[in-house]
Amino acid sequence: MKSKTSPPRNPTLGEKLHHLLISQEGVLFVIMLVSVLFLATRTDKFLTVDNLLQQGRFMTEVGLIAIPMTYIIITGGIDLSVGSILGLTAIVLGWTWQELGFPLELAIITGILSGTIAGFVNGLFIVRVGVPPLIMTLATLALYRGLAEGISEARSARGYPEWFFQLGQGEFLGIPTQLWLLIIAVVIFGIILARTRLGRALYAIGNNETGARFSGLTVNRYLLFIYTFSGFMSGVAGYIFVSRVSTTRSDMGTGIELDVIAAVVLGGTSIFGGTGSIPGTIVGVVLIQLLKNGLTLSGVTSDATIVVIGSVLIFAILVNNFIQSRRSEN
Amino acid sequence: MKRTFAITLILALLLALAGTPLSADGHERWDGADDLAVNPLACGMGDEMMDEGEDMEEDMEMMEYDGGMVAMGDDMAGMDITLVDVPKLVGIGYFAATTLGQQQAAEELGNVSVTTDAPTEANIDDQIQVIDSYITAGVDGILFAANDPVAIAPVLRKALEAGIHVVGYDANSEPDAREWFVNQAEFNGIAKALVDSLADQMGAEASFGIVTSTFTTPNQARWIAEMWAYASECYPDLTWLETLEAQEDAVLSFQQAQTLINKYGEDLDGIFAMTSVATPNGADAVQQAGVCEDVAVVGLATPNGMKPYVNSGCVRDVILWNPVDLGYAAVYVMRAVVDGEFQPGDASVSAGRLGDLVVVNGSEVLLGPPFTFTADNINDFDF
Repeated sequence: MKSKTSPPRNPTLGEKLHHLLISQEGVLFVIMLVSVLFLATRTDKFLTVDNLLQQGRFMTEVGLIAIPMTYIIITGGIDLSVGSILGLTAIVLGWTWQELGFPLELAIITGILSGTIAGFVNGLFIVRVGVPPLIMTLATLALYRGLAEGISEARSARGYPEWFFQLGQGEFLGIPTQLWLLIIAVVIFGIILARTRLGRALYAIGNNETGARFSGLTVNRYLLFIYTFSGFMSGVAGYIFVSRVSTTRSDMGTGIELDVIAAVVLGGTSIFGGTGSIPGTIVGVVLIQLLKNGLTLSGVTSDATIVVIGSVLIFAILVNNFIQSRRSEN
Repeated sequence: MKRTFAITLILALLLALAGTPLSADGHERWDGADDLAVNPLACGMGDEMMDEGEDMEEDMEMMEYDGGMVAMGDDMAGMDITLVDVPKLVGIGYFAATTLGQQQAAEELGNVSVTTDAPTEANIDDQIQVIDSYITAGVDGILFAANDPVAIAPVLRKALEAGIHVVGYDANSEPDAREWFVNQAEFNGIAKALVDSLADQMGAEASFGIVTSTFTTPNQARWIAEMWAYASECYPDLTWLETLEAQEDAVLSFQQAQTLINKYGEDLDGIFAMTSVATPNGADAVQQAGVCEDVAVVGLATPNGMKPYVNSGCVRDVILWNPVDLGYAAVYVMRAVVDGEFQPGDASVSAGRLGDLVVVNGSEVLLGPPFTFTADNINDFDF
């Protein structure tokens, strides 16, 4: 047989690796590795299985909400109300169980459902009334928090039965229960974004919404879906949070929206829409959590830690911008 | 168009729903008070309070130790120990004062080192993560002031299981999640001191508003609950106008006090300020509005922030305990626990310059009665 050189030559492994390494996610992953190695030299308590799994437990809520946030930011939108939805879900869960006497299983479903509805209302106004996402979710950031305080009358619901804590405090096959949930969600929604029509539609909307509309995409339906999805995931995160800390308070999840958005943007999603990926987001979530933990373990106090995290965020974005612009010049 | 209208209507309804409970006034007991049982002290001023205090101590001695048990670890009696102090947050004067007291105690003892580390905002989850990291890092003891009594409990239990001693101060957790709690002043004592001061200044038929941190903050909620109980028993003619949230935020505290002044005008005789941020800013609002004579500000605050208002005569009484002593006592209690000198069932513990402190409520160490700062003594304090 004569060997022929096929014109569209498959890239060699080396080229693939090089391509992967200078991608947004690749650069970030390298920064994460460097940080982890550096922190591991500072303290031997950091790079242990127990500690890393515990950090997985702590980052699950932010990670779960970061998935729909990536979807939303890819379309050029934003959702600031996720922390308030988390709080509302927690309060509805505790209130329906303790005050209305729902069975706990039903209270969990009602809680998550109310989070989903809260997200749906966001989406409805953004799509039907045309309120910009920033304004709408800024309004519901206050509105949902107010609802949570109003419903709870500032009282906490406590004293859940033992099985309720399995999700937030238990383990399954040696790994924190909620981390399984995060891993499954990341795989499923990562594939959906990268490989399906829905995913491609989101990128199209983010790159050119008008163009997407004229191309026959049902833009409104997609947008309504992702904001509802965001409410749903915030609701699930709320349930996990209550299970982890064993009480409900109306101030739960305050400020979590900023942690989530920081992780998503750090993960390479453009705030103007059109680019981004779930693997990038997850590397962002993990990097922030490990920095927080590793710095505390090596004796840096919390106030200095947030300064370092802010600096790393800026540094990572600068490095990535530099490499990506070099890459597009080539 | 119709649809837009319908959606707008739904939002308006939602807003109304959210607004209703928040705007309800005091008479519906929308006051931030929680549901736990209250224990108001007997009415009256001064000496009677001391008697009552002693009676209570007798009652409390009946209670068995209900704190947690630390897992067996190395015997550290008399050895150098490393402690971490995790207050609700860092960067405010109050916890700077408790930290100062801890450092004083550590210096006196000579074999204790304390590091203070906490989130820069009073956030339950951040606090849990900080404590968890210190458990992993390995310390001999944890001092804490809880942002939420229940939420903090699992991580503290984890510390006890790891053989780390746990002592709380300022804000308690569930009793079995720590060994001892240094109680700065009992809730009913503070409540009585506050209400008595207002009634003394403005009469037993005064009307007042409250500026608190948030309705969920445990200390503030307990004080308000006790104030409610004490006032309804001893001063039934006091009128409770409204309770407003101001986080622990200076600008917001000022605005909320202003809201009370503008909203109730002549009807407002007094403002209770429940945080060390709300009191000076509430006093500032009253002073700027020029109503010092008509509105008495009574609140909890550290003396330095209140000196201008007390010295100018705008504020008569500032109620508090000494946070420096509080931090100091916490370290002494921790040292005594580690040395095995202070054990469940003991009725008192020796705390350096503070002398012997009594045990109340099973597993709490009482710092003493609340302290009232006035123009006569406030300049003697610097914290």
